[in-house]
Amino acid sequence: MARGGGAGGRGPQPTMDKPKREAILDLSKYTNERIRVKFTGGREGAFYKQCEIYALIYLHDTLVTGVLKGFDQLLNLVLDDVEENIQTENETTARSLGLVVLRGPTITLLSPVDGSEEIANPFLAQEA
Amino acid sequence: MLPLSLLNAAQNKPMLVELKNGETFNGHLVNCDNFMNITLREVYQTNAEGDKFWKLKECYIRGSTIKYLRVPDTLLDAVKEEQNRAREAGRSARGAHVSGPGGRGRGPPQRGGRGGVRGGPIRGGRGRGRGM
Repeated sequence: MARGGGAGGRGPQPTMDKPKREAILDLSKYTNERIRVKFTGGREGAFYKQCEIYALIYLHDTLVTGVLKGFDQLLNLVLDDVEENIQTENETTARSLGLVVLRGPTITLLSPVDGSEEIANPFLAQEA
Repeated sequence: MLPLSLLNAAQNKPMLVELKNGETFNGHLVNCDNFMNITLREVYQTNAEGDKFWKLKECYIRGSTIKYLRVPDTLLDAVKEEQNRAREAGRSARGAHVSGPGGRGRGPPQRGGRGGVRGGPIRGGRGRGRGM
């Protein structure tokens, strides 16, 4: 009850607040499963090097997949057998990184590899 | 109508999320928090160019990367109705039984949720109730 700053709307808040404090994502169900993680701070795209006149910096998000070995509440992750997927203009190359600690605050997207696949445009099908 | 309460009410509803980098995610909201971090299920991911598509069973998206979320139009009415119901419930509870300063957190809430129930009638809680 005596949590700081909980001035208005006393009634429902503590109960509403409590579960929100916990992680909204239960990572334990992904342990030893391969997950796909995207995070900010990509490297410059190949486009930059090829193009000397327009110094266009093209930052790709970094995309890796790895087997989840551990995590904490800040979403820092320990991944094993990590593969970094580097996207250049029209091809994707993989770079093997091994065992890695990923910093939570940089993570923008996380999804299990199992059950994920590239597909044809699903929205066209719906319209037809 | 607060953005985050609308989002909270959108749980299990379909929605479209566009990230700052232009990628979009169509899926059902599973959960969200006050940072607007969200988890979706049965997701269709589209890249920024709109020419590649992925089907994801589940995904987690960091709130700070979101540009906007499109939610069903009907949600607005549902939330308004819900708010009205909550207000009515709070009012009738106060009128009937002087349940203290609960409900909407008006007045000095320092008197506390629990203590107020007993303290209320003696302190003339009726007057307070009408004051709103």
